[in-house]
Amino acid sequence: MAYVATRGGERAIEQAERLFRAEMGRIEKARVAELRAALPYLIDRVMGEASLYDEDLAALALAQTGGELSEAVLLLRAWRTTQPRLATAEVIEQDGLFTHRRISAAFKDIPGGQILGPTLDYSHRVLATEVLQGDAFTPDPVTPAQAPAPAHQPSVSTWQAENELVDLPEPDPAKGGDIPDLTREPLLFPSRRAHTLQSLARAETGGVLALGYAAMRGYGQAHPTVNELRLAEAEIVVTHPDGRRFSAGRVKVSEAEVVDKKGEKLSLGFAATFGWNEIKCIAAATLDLNSPGAEKGAPTEEEFFLYHTEGVESSGFCIHFKLPHYVTFQSSLDAMRDAKAKRAAKSGEPAQ
Amino acid sequence: MSLSDLAKPWAAMSYGFLDASAKRELRRKMVKAVAVPGCQMPYASREVPMARGWGTGGLQVSLTLINPKSVVKVIDQGADDSVNAASIRRFLARVSGAMTTTDTLTASLIQSRHRIPEEKLSDNQVLVLQVPNPEPLRPVQPNMSIARQMHADADYSRMWLQLYEQIVCSGRVMQGASYPSLVNGRHVMTPSPIPRWDVPKLHMAEHLTILSAGREKRLFAVPPFTRVEPLVFDDVPFQVEDHADLSCYRSGARGFFMNEIPQDDGTSQYELSDSEYGVKTIRDREGDPVRFGETWYKNGKFS
Repeated sequence: MAYVATRGGERAIEQAERLFRAEMGRIEKARVAELRAALPYLIDRVMGEASLYDEDLAALALAQTGGELSEAVLLLRAWRTTQPRLATAEVIEQDGLFTHRRISAAFKDIPGGQILGPTLDYSHRVLATEVLQGDAFTPDPVTPAQAPAPAHQPSVSTWQAENELVDLPEPDPAKGGDIPDLTREPLLFPSRRAHTLQSLARAETGGVLALGYAAMRGYGQAHPTVNELRLAEAEIVVTHPDGRRFSAGRVKVSEAEVVDKKGEKLSLGFAATFGWNEIKCIAAATLDLNSPGAEKGAPTEEEFFLYHTEGVESSGFCIHFKLPHYVTFQSSLDAMRDAKAKRAAKSGEPAQ
Repeated sequence: MSLSDLAKPWAAMSYGFLDASAKRELRRKMVKAVAVPGCQMPYASREVPMARGWGTGGLQVSLTLINPKSVVKVIDQGADDSVNAASIRRFLARVSGAMTTTDTLTASLIQSRHRIPEEKLSDNQVLVLQVPNPEPLRPVQPNMSIARQMHADADYSRMWLQLYEQIVCSGRVMQGASYPSLVNGRHVMTPSPIPRWDVPKLHMAEHLTILSAGREKRLFAVPPFTRVEPLVFDDVPFQVEDHADLSCYRSGARGFFMNEIPQDDGTSQYELSDSEYGVKTIRDREGDPVRFGETWYKNGKFS
């Protein structure tokens, strides 16, 4: 038979996958545990973009994909979407968060205090090359503060609202299964507030940063002042079928409020995500701040930034261009050649 | 009451991968799509174990329609042996237990990327077309919410203007694949990037076609016996690719859509794009018993 047998394609893709996996070798539980312990911020980023909070599964996804982030996120999303919904957790307010870090650039001091918490912000970015020479890098131990910072603080915007500096958005009364869910409903525009925030929460960090940065540089009208940036843990409170409320555990979350002056009041942008990911929250909140009234097609317009920061969709579409396109290409060639022939025939006519 | 009373026994995966709520949504959206031919229905579009843009929309529809008695054919750019077609076929079979085939005639469910087989489909077959961009208005209006309003208003003036401009600038309509077509006299749809050669196959067809874009979260349908009319001006007829007189250098078949294979000497050879039809032609020539179906094109002419 002159045609390539169908089995050929199947063998090729199987071997190609083996070739990819050969580099990572055997994956054991210990590797997953090591990844989880060594790379908490990467785990956080992946959990945020996957919108699935499970450090072990995130570490497994990273191990299985060799750190190919788009693939790791897709792996988790595809797993997540098939899981049953057992319960919906109670609403979490900012003052209910167990806070590790919370800073404001708007005021020198804020109710509850500035809490620096864990950060590399003021570290000197010098590679610890001695590790490669065989000398281990041992971080200096943390000296606990004499008076620990309070674990719970109100949001800065609450104080601003009390002082009539900002109008807080209307609270959404939806509860339980009535809360709009982006993963089970299509995103339509103008987007519902819940969908917008959910979409930003699971957006791709780099994409959000790119568009948020564009807005910060001047492609947006609003200049962000970081009202507050918070790294915290949130209690997941659910109700047992027998009626008892209980905590199913804590998840790491980050959130940012950014403000800009708008007439006599401040306008407010907000974003939150699973895991500790400061850049994503500030950039996403900046986009949120800029989106009201943004022109259609501007990078700060809701439809534009929500579609284009969706990491699973954008990365998938980008790599799909590797697929054969010869039918479409052939169809275009046909039109081009015919147009060319028509023009040649036309320009030839007067000479004849 | 315990957790085990509330949940079904644990299984690694639902039948056909998607869970029941995802399938229910897809079924509802498919019914709506059939009820309003050519109109795009937004759906949640779950993640599936393949990358977006690789047939995830078609896959979700196939996973919803599939059952253990299904006979599945998967093609990519006309070929059953293309690597992504092989991958999708293997996945469909793995999660459903359905049979697979390469023969257009015996398939009950055909998932395809950018081609409609050359043999006619019948009323017991469903064609699922993978769609990269479900919005025919995208070239003239990239904003989806505005485009949605334009569909509601049946405002297709910019589409006509675009076609007119192409004729003025290039002497002909330059649209290659994805030729915009009016469905049931109401909604303009993209038939997905099938070549123009395949567009007439959708018009008043016996089979049901579901077109689904997973990344863009939209699906639409061409029900059986529905008008699908490419947008053309009265005095500029629709023109399919000039392939009627080409012959396949492998099988000798003539008058079907071809792949062009550039040669070292600067010329081109052609091979059938519908790989299975090519295989059948070769086997027939070698004396194997082969059942051919009726083809949409006869001697290079649509009939």
